[in-house]
Amino acid sequence: MTARLAGTIVSKTDVAPVEVESTDVDESEDSDRPWLVIVWNDPINLMSFVTFVFQKLFGYSKEKATSLMLDVHHKGRAVVSSGTRERSELDVYRLHEHGLWATMEQSG
Amino acid sequence: MSAPIKRRRDGRFAVKLDPSIRTLLVTLSEQVTPVIAPDEPMTKRLFPPAYPGDTDEQAEAEYRHLVDTALANHHRQALAVMVKTAHADTLSEAELSSWLSAVGSLRLIIGTRLDVSEDMERPGPEDETASEYALYELLSQLQYLMIEVLAADLPDEGRPAGAL
Repeated sequence: MTARLAGTIVSKTDVAPVEVESTDVDESEDSDRPWLVIVWNDPINLMSFVTFVFQKLFGYSKEKATSLMLDVHHKGRAVVSSGTRERSELDVYRLHEHGLWATMEQSG
Repeated sequence: MSAPIKRRRDGRFAVKLDPSIRTLLVTLSEQVTPVIAPDEPMTKRLFPPAYPGDTDEQAEAEYRHLVDTALANHHRQALAVMVKTAHADTLSEAELSSWLSAVGSLRLIIGTRLDVSEDMERPGPEDETASEYALYELLSQLQYLMIEVLAADLPDEGRPAGAL
């Protein structure tokens, strides 16, 4: 599990390589249920910045990015992407690079 | 009056800022950079949890182990680019993106210190946080200007799925 993000992050930065432990995967985990990436409202990030990040990172249209940003702003949170655990963790990392308050959880 | 930051025909960005603001950006960056760490209260906001609360402590520990060094480097690198190019008349798109990231980090750090909230009123001139709040607003304006010019290059219709 420690190898989930290693390839991606190590390839673009200079951190030491992380050991691959492919035997560490928890077989009991229900891998059919997708993981959800959630962005939470915070009082610091500008609305235009949050929209910009959604467009830039996910390639969303301006309309979709704005709608997600408004959900974050008014409802306190929005699901901005979903998929495998690996993919979601990478999305969370990219959102953290941009200073957004992002977390992940398994759906269901 | 022309915009302080605008895209030129050659793809670079012209930056017209007061020298005192540029110097301020350097000073702030140099103060913050050596402090950046996940366990440092002042910069903790730059390292949000991936697995909130106690939902999955092991997964959170693994995430931290994996990303904290890269995340700290990412923030430091953006601040370093801004310091290096603080007095430049023009910036490449990559340099301007680093400025956006660096100013964003400074806003997060100062905003957290000020404990800003959405319905917060600007502190009065006698308030001890007045000057720091003014600084926060200056950074907000600067970030807004950069987003405007960088967002203008993103397609309104978005990108095809899977493209990066």
